[in-house]
Amino acid sequence: MEELASRNKIKFDKYRLKKLVIALLPLVALIALFVAYLIILNANDYNVSMNLKTLLNQSIVLILVATGAIFIFTLGQFDISLGANTLFAAVIGTLAYKASGNIFVLFLVCIVVAVACSLLNAVIASIFHLPMFVTTIAMLSVLTALATFLIQSEGTASGTSFSITLPSNLVNDLSAIDTPAFKISVVVIFMVLMIFIFNFTKVGRKMKFLGGNQNCAKLTGISVSLFGIIAFALAGLGAGLGSSMTVVYAHTVSTTTASSIGMSVFIAIVFGGMPINGGARSRIYSALIGGISYNLMTNILFILFQSMQGVRDGLVQVISGIFFLAIVFVASINYRSKNLPR
Amino acid sequence: MKISKFMKGTVALALAGVALAACSGESTEKVVKVGVLVADVSGEEALGFKSYLQNYVAKQYNYEFIYSPQIESAEQAKSQAETFIGQNCKAIIDMADKNRGDLAKLCNDNQVYFAIGSGMMSDEDFAASKSLEYFVGQIGPNMTTEYETGLAMGQYYKDAKNVTKIGVYGAFIPNPMHLYRMAGLLTGLGDTYKGATGQNIVFTVFGDGAQFDASNIAGDVAIDYCAGFDNEGAIFATVGQIIAKNPDAFLSVGMTTTFFADTLDGAGVEYSDIDSFTSANGNHMKNGSLGYLAGKYSSSLGPVFAAIKSAIDGKAIRTEAGEAFSLSQGYWTAKSSEEFEKFQSADSVENPIFNKTLLDSLIGLSYTEFVNEVAKDRTPQ
Amino acid sequence: MSDFSNRTKGELILEIKNMNKSFGPVTALKNVDLNLYRGDVLGLIGENGSGKSTVSSIAAGMQKADSGEMTFLGKKWSPTSMINALENGIGMIVQESGTIAGITVAENIFLGNLNQFSRFGFINKKELYKRANDVLRQIGIDNIDSSMIMGSLDFQSRKLVEIAKVIMKEPEVLIVDETTTALSQNGRKILYGIVDRFRKENRAVIFISHDLDEIMEVCDTLTVLRDGNIIRTFKKEEFDPDQIRLSMIGRELEGDYYRSDYEHVYGEKVTISLQNATVNGHMYNINLEAHEGEILGIGGLSHCGMHTLGKVLFGAVKLDEGEALVDGEKIKNEIFATKKKIGYVSKDRDNESLVLSASVKDNISIAGLDIFSIGNFLVLYSKENEYVKKQIDSLSIKCSDSGQIVQTLSGGNKQKVVFGKWIGCGSEILVLDCPTRGVDVGVKQAMYQLMVQLKQEGKTIIIISEELPELMGMSDRLIIMKNGRIEKEFLRSKDLSDAEIIGYMI
Repeated sequence: MEELASRNKIKFDKYRLKKLVIALLPLVALIALFVAYLIILNANDYNVSMNLKTLLNQSIVLILVATGAIFIFTLGQFDISLGANTLFAAVIGTLAYKASGNIFVLFLVCIVVAVACSLLNAVIASIFHLPMFVTTIAMLSVLTALATFLIQSEGTASGTSFSITLPSNLVNDLSAIDTPAFKISVVVIFMVLMIFIFNFTKVGRKMKFLGGNQNCAKLTGISVSLFGIIAFALAGLGAGLGSSMTVVYAHTVSTTTASSIGMSVFIAIVFGGMPINGGARSRIYSALIGGISYNLMTNILFILFQSMQGVRDGLVQVISGIFFLAIVFVASINYRSKNLPR
Repeated sequence: MKISKFMKGTVALALAGVALAACSGESTEKVVKVGVLVADVSGEEALGFKSYLQNYVAKQYNYEFIYSPQIESAEQAKSQAETFIGQNCKAIIDMADKNRGDLAKLCNDNQVYFAIGSGMMSDEDFAASKSLEYFVGQIGPNMTTEYETGLAMGQYYKDAKNVTKIGVYGAFIPNPMHLYRMAGLLTGLGDTYKGATGQNIVFTVFGDGAQFDASNIAGDVAIDYCAGFDNEGAIFATVGQIIAKNPDAFLSVGMTTTFFADTLDGAGVEYSDIDSFTSANGNHMKNGSLGYLAGKYSSSLGPVFAAIKSAIDGKAIRTEAGEAFSLSQGYWTAKSSEEFEKFQSADSVENPIFNKTLLDSLIGLSYTEFVNEVAKDRTPQ
Repeated sequence: MSDFSNRTKGELILEIKNMNKSFGPVTALKNVDLNLYRGDVLGLIGENGSGKSTVSSIAAGMQKADSGEMTFLGKKWSPTSMINALENGIGMIVQESGTIAGITVAENIFLGNLNQFSRFGFINKKELYKRANDVLRQIGIDNIDSSMIMGSLDFQSRKLVEIAKVIMKEPEVLIVDETTTALSQNGRKILYGIVDRFRKENRAVIFISHDLDEIMEVCDTLTVLRDGNIIRTFKKEEFDPDQIRLSMIGRELEGDYYRSDYEHVYGEKVTISLQNATVNGHMYNINLEAHEGEILGIGGLSHCGMHTLGKVLFGAVKLDEGEALVDGEKIKNEIFATKKKIGYVSKDRDNESLVLSASVKDNISIAGLDIFSIGNFLVLYSKENEYVKKQIDSLSIKCSDSGQIVQTLSGGNKQKVVFGKWIGCGSEILVLDCPTRGVDVGVKQAMYQLMVQLKQEGKTIIIISEELPELMGMSDRLIIMKNGRIEKEFLRSKDLSDAEIIGYMI
């Protein structure tokens, strides 16, 4: 009897170990990629600090927007208008900044606009009983059109496109805060806030539960529409911060600003180990880990395939795609629970 | 004794060799890396430039030209520039046109040379950047050149072809480059836009909030207009309708050979475009109905390279005021298949117009001499 | 399929030798040997996790064993899928849903075989529906039309279609896995008829059930499993409920099963009530009151409207007419209900009472977040752990730790988690819909005793159930519904007879 118990215990510890390993996999992958990156940089005698700075710049907007979006994904929802929202908030924020000359105004306006637009998705969905995804599709068109109109009428033409540019004194002000220290501070503060809400508050708990089974959550007294609204508001916060950081970095807004954010958000959180359906296993730091991992991976691949100029871009995309599929597959194995019979 | 003499001799020779190598201004072992920012990775013109740089210049000068992936936004451009800097590129050529002023400053802050390979900076950006030590300069068709190119096209079709009714494709109007070309085209045809002619047409359009309305066109030549920008879904249908009305010609300020060449060839309607001397376009001129092509030739990037190399070699080409240069470079225009082939063969990868001999002669020139060389008409006769 | 006209009674048809199967750290089957003979209805009974469903699902091709051999009709048997097994002679009707909701009944029945109705790429729907209807009528189902969408049918009807689908293939061995809990009287009649036919035709049946009375009635032989082992096989002559229960749980059931008293005593205060409550299509003009310290039973056939009534009491279904009140206030929605300390245990446990992908801890603590958090925000982990542990201990929930994912628990333990959720947060009124469905004997007893304890604490318990013994054993008052209306109310008494009660149900 005891032997049985101890055999079961060993089996169980192996099982627990396996679960732990799979849960830590994204972090381990990130560390491995980072080490590989450093090795490759040194082997090629590249400027390590410059490259790390570039990595930060590549990742920060993505991390901010994607982390906010995790609340939406946790509910098992999808927001296709994130990129458009970021763009639109950046446009309004930039115009406000131009008018006021105050950096604080830039941040405030970007955040307020992004939160408002994001909230609109959830509120409209709630009032008209539509799936939230549907309203985000409509938002995507509306925000993109508005942003384009504003850029063309308020912006200046240069070469082949229109953009809203800032006068040099404002550019200088922005350059002053466009530093690694500031950016890392913003990310840290934001992450702490998000982690707190996600893991340590009733709001986060209820959202995870809701994402796990909407019927059950409803029958436990959790309001589907209320938490949908909260999730979108938090996503708006991420998008607003992301949009202001985009302006800080690029000093300009054009119709292609934040154009790739929509898909990148999804890719980043998957790379970070977030389950696609959301629910109880959602992790708030998936975007952080995944965003950096994804950029590390593509940077490494670009360096490795540097010499194959002709096929380099295609090759990098294909390999990234394969990795993406592999991660989704591994995550789903873990997710597919083994059914015990009744 | 003999051995030690031999040894001494060898050592002396080796030392001399090292000294020689150290003395030479050029590092002969290390490849010089130059990053190239591009927004267009697949168009024939872009590929032509790429081929010139990577298959000719790189081989002649022990340079490596690293191309960025397709750049779509200003952030991406800046990020890619930072990546190039981090990979020890000595210079960056920009052909993506995303916030060039910012990039010039970025490169300058990192002691990396920055030059513009196609198009131009805005006047404000250039004014702010020209005194930056590491901003080499820009060579390209400025807006006036674009206007003049459109003008020449319009005049040709008015005077030599006597057109009375034509179709026109507006490409990405209201983007400035195409708008200036259109202004020139309308003026060359003798038409007006809301009563304005010349470059005033551009200002009029901007005054209307950058909205181009073809119903404002008036004049002897009747114009059936197809907008490109903001009309993407309908362009083929619209052009089809225009062709069905049997116009004298179909003129374009850009992108027509990309989209409509086969359709126009099939309908036998003569058309024009501002594009580049690719073999596809050559085919359309020979076997189809492309009648007029203004374009850039691939090695027109040569002077930009020469200026960069001069800078890297410590012989930067600066204006009298010690600033970066801004020079105009025009288009070649082919009006027949023979002319086209002449142009095309005049500038091949094996034997470009700006070959090593010519490039060598440009490197380290004084500003005035450089300007003269760039301005020379190199149209093949 | 080969000709089976020469079927000999008593011939060995299926042999399972030395079968082992584990799921992660849990062993489901240990060196199990099983023989099935023609003309025999073999019952498999055991607690949850005993392995009875595992061994039969392996025989039916649903999953593969880790080791062991199966021989069917004298040949080695290793089906690649359930469809493959059914094509080759062994068919299984599963406990949960085995049909596809989004397509028609006919398409479900002929799933995988639709080609026989197709000409030039188009399906001859008329022919398909006719043939499917024939199949249904043949086994005595006459109230379902095969052109209906599966999802529009209720659970029982879906189950009947599933039975038809399997029987159509005329398998040599039929495995029935806890199917009768989903069926009404009529449905059970149909199923028993099929089992009887199989016996007479010298095929074989494996019948898995929790219901001891049923299994003793239906089966010729009964094998008891416990913890993945075969404990004992009883022949019909040897059937004895106490002995069988003893084999199942390995110990004697101590204490009372249901309530020991026969009084209907409860407080005066009305805690929750319905007044002229109507939900069109489901229940009409219901007037009902429940009191402090009362166990109110609601019974009837599965369509009688009682399940909707349960949802109405929790605010999950809106009334078309009338009112639902708790402490005199209208029950607006689920959020209001939980605030008023009403708890609801749904009949569809997996879909409505649990988040299967979440842990035991998450599922238990979700309803009581207010209790261990500061203000509106901060959840205190240590207090939460205490809270959850209390429920795990007091309900004896068998799990490795509170972090175990609920999906991997057995049915009984899952139900305990649901109970823990509502008891932990101090629910004063519990609406329990089929609370012991799919739960085995030992756990059932514990739940009944828990309900008694809650009653004594002054809580209101409303049990909605299709199991009459349970209702009779537990309720202070028993309300019988039929066709959406209340037929009769019975008070708890020793002399209550099930025959009389059933009369009001049907």
